[in-house]
Amino acid sequence: MIEVKNLSKQFKVPTERKGIFGPKKKNFLAVDSLEFNLEKGKVLSILGPNGCGKTTTLRMIAGMLEPSKGTAIVDGLDVRKCKHDVKSKIGYMTNNTSLYDRLNVIETIKFFADLNQIPEDIYKPRAEQLFDQLDMKNYLLKRIADLSTGMKQKTSIVRTLIHDPEVVILDEPTTGVDVTGQSVIIDLIKSIKDSGKTLIFSTHQLGEVRDIADQIVCMKSGKKVFDGTTQDFQALNSNKNFNEIFMELVNE
Amino acid sequence: MSKWQTLLVKEIVHLFRDTKTIVQTVVVPTFITPLLIGAVIWYISSIAVDEGKKTYDVAVYDQNNTELTINLQESERLNVLLMDSIDQVIDDVTNDNSEIGISLGSDFTSQLKNNLSGEITIYSKNLDNFSQAQGIVSDIIDEYDDQIRNERLNNLNVDENFINPITVLDEDLTSNEEFAGSIIGGILAFLFIVYIMSGSMYPAIDLGAGEKERGTMETLISTNISSVDIIIGKMFSVTSSAVLTAIFSLLGFAVPLIVIFLFYGDSIPENAFEIISAIVNPVAIVAMFGLLIPLSIFMGAFMLAISIYSKNPKEASLLLGNAVIIFFIPAYVPLINPGIELDLVGSLIPCYSFALHTNALIAGNTDWFLYGATLISNILYCSIAIYVTYIMFDDEKIIFRN
Repeated sequence: MIEVKNLSKQFKVPTERKGIFGPKKKNFLAVDSLEFNLEKGKVLSILGPNGCGKTTTLRMIAGMLEPSKGTAIVDGLDVRKCKHDVKSKIGYMTNNTSLYDRLNVIETIKFFADLNQIPEDIYKPRAEQLFDQLDMKNYLLKRIADLSTGMKQKTSIVRTLIHDPEVVILDEPTTGVDVTGQSVIIDLIKSIKDSGKTLIFSTHQLGEVRDIADQIVCMKSGKKVFDGTTQDFQALNSNKNFNEIFMELVNE
Repeated sequence: MSKWQTLLVKEIVHLFRDTKTIVQTVVVPTFITPLLIGAVIWYISSIAVDEGKKTYDVAVYDQNNTELTINLQESERLNVLLMDSIDQVIDDVTNDNSEIGISLGSDFTSQLKNNLSGEITIYSKNLDNFSQAQGIVSDIIDEYDDQIRNERLNNLNVDENFINPITVLDEDLTSNEEFAGSIIGGILAFLFIVYIMSGSMYPAIDLGAGEKERGTMETLISTNISSVDIIIGKMFSVTSSAVLTAIFSLLGFAVPLIVIFLFYGDSIPENAFEIISAIVNPVAIVAMFGLLIPLSIFMGAFMLAISIYSKNPKEASLLLGNAVIIFFIPAYVPLINPGIELDLVGSLIPCYSFALHTNALIAGNTDWFLYGATLISNILYCSIAIYVTYIMFDDEKIIFRN
């Protein structure tokens, strides 16, 4: 379903040396020759410390950033050549609750459904089902600005899924959500998995990974340091838990 | 609805649910600005009225108590204070005890008697533009000057016309339309441009740098909406706000005028009606809006491009605050030079050409060739600004610059 081939991304980042028009810049390889495959209907978790290139990788797969080298193929479509077709197959949720503060929940969902050209008779029952599942019924007419972080995150998830995408990408979906909220979101991710969708998510919560993921890609400084199943991950050291194995991988 | 229309509706709802947009677009142009302008006009006219009734202290040094001093003393508007020296006169004016100081040379009377010229020095500070003191004093001196000249001519048995071979009669043939065009047209165009700038600035910042900072721009570009749809949707939102601001500003001035005409029509001079009807001319209004629409789209796209480039709203405000000068100055030039005429080069300068076309449209002497040149150039600038905004929007280095 998803093939990541030699995927690289280079940015220019400011250095401490000053130039005429501000700090001088140098090249920085945020993602370096990343390769992995993900089968249809499987769940992949991308792990790694802050700044290791997880978000950049997800943005390239979603067609939001142009790869400097290599490419990603999503359901047979090359992101470099068919960016918009790839975007319509993907539901991407950013790592912050980025929604329009002055719209209410219903208006937000309608806006994203309209952008994806989903007719009302299709998106409404879908949204109601998701609202039920995420226990959001009492908040539908509240403006986003008045919602808690957890409720904003749930709204983000609904808007990500409203066009019934084949691939769902969630960038740190449980960040900033309380324990109850996390459990609701994890249940939803499980139900997305059960519905046969392909899912990629990045996280710092290794408990979620163990419970949900079929496959793990671990990154460090833009490079892949592990790619395999959750069983393969545990097999790296059967005497240690996921957290300890992860720390060993990224500290090596 | 197409994707850009969906985005446009969302942006307008989102913008107009913000109190800042309502204040900027509706409250300030409709109520606050006309009230402020009205208050300033009332204050200035009340000062002028007060000055018309005021009696001014005038310090006079005249050793011989001449007829001129007596004439000054006879004026109801002057309170003559006789001084003992020139220095006293200067001190009195310097210390603001007297509005004007006058000193007559010691030989003033003898010079006049000998058919020579007597010398008068007038001391003033010239800071109070409303003061009528100098005018009153000058009128009395001129009258005295005429009186002596006529006496001398009589003594010589020479007719007054002998030294005034040419009599100039000055007749102003400016029509009410031309007057309205040169004065009110300039003000109207300037106000339109200021309101378009202020009406576009906040939405441009909110929909560009604001969205980048809040992260909603990332959410938006993660969907399959194209950059062209995003630019069109956002640009029309900015332009709608700008045009609405301009319309509300017009209403802010028109409604009080209509009320005054309806209820106090009898006390308004007849030519004021003619001036207003020159402005409320359907052809002029349609032609003005014909220029205003591409101009507002151009300004909206220009501001949106700067806002999208900026890392955050603070940087956008700073950059836009400086960049709007390029619209402001060309609109201001015709306001301070009402007689300036538009040529082909001028017709290609945005805002400047709009201001001069507004003057001409109200005055009824539009050069339609130059109007066409302005319209085409504005559409061209508008297309370039949209294209630049599109390029910036499509550049991930700019979109993810923050």
